[in-house]
Amino acid sequence: MDKATEAATAASSSDPQVGLRAVVALQRLAEALEALQVDNARRKGWSWQQIADALGVSKQAVHKKHAGRPATDPSWRD
Amino acid sequence: MFERFTKQARALVIDTQEQARRMGHGAIGTQHLLLALLAQDERPAALLRNAGVTYAQIETAVRRYLGEPEPALGPEDTEALRAIGIDLDEVRARIEEDFGPSALTPQPPPPPRRRFGLGRRNHEFDPPRPAGDRHIPFTPRAKKVLELSLREAIRLGHRHIGTELILLGLLRESEGLAAKVLADARVDVPALRRQIEASLREAA
Repeated sequence: MDKATEAATAASSSDPQVGLRAVVALQRLAEALEALQVDNARRKGWSWQQIADALGVSKQAVHKKHAGRPATDPSWRD
Repeated sequence: MFERFTKQARALVIDTQEQARRMGHGAIGTQHLLLALLAQDERPAALLRNAGVTYAQIETAVRRYLGEPEPALGPEDTEALRAIGIDLDEVRARIEEDFGPSALTPQPPPPPRRRFGLGRRNHEFDPPRPAGDRHIPFTPRAKKVLELSLREAIRLGHRHIGTELILLGLLRESEGLAAKVLADARVDVPALRRQIEASLREAA
């Protein structure tokens, strides 16, 4: 996400207010997508280790962040 | 107590109310001081960002600690992303093709828990505010941060309390939500303190 954030900041307007708000929105989007994709992976039987490897973070980090929170909308569960 | 605060520090204290209100919280805690520091375009925000801390990250961490849902991606986010060439509606449409109509919408909040506002009222510490605003009290720990800022000012020989000193006070407080989320973000607090003190010496 950091690289995407940097690229987006570099590409954006030189007004810090606009640029920084875009960074916040990108981070929110990334968080929402991460929650959705982690839930999807769990429902498809992926282990925390596999998810951590795919995200490029430690298993502890991904478990701590996602194991306790309420699941994203389960209406699409497959 | 607030007469010793600089203009920026007063603006910061006023903004803590906005931060609390925006998150739907009934009291101003240490986390709102941290968020207000990050929202200000001042030296403390730069030092915090340097230490790897961002506004969105802290907001998310705070919500997670309190068991609240992630912030929804609202119209402001759509606008902000458009400025850098990302069409959020298009992203949403692609996601919803695979995951259903409310995939990017956060889940409804759990019933609220009483966590704040348990302290005795102490008007000396009540934040300055624009007239006509609903009053939001400080938690005892947030008041403690302001006391600690004053103590830091005395220790460092400053007559006035600026936003750097408020950040130093915040880093001295070790039990509030700000301390917890900073620890989770693995911020090197002693190193950050040294940087703030160096920044204060430069400015002097």
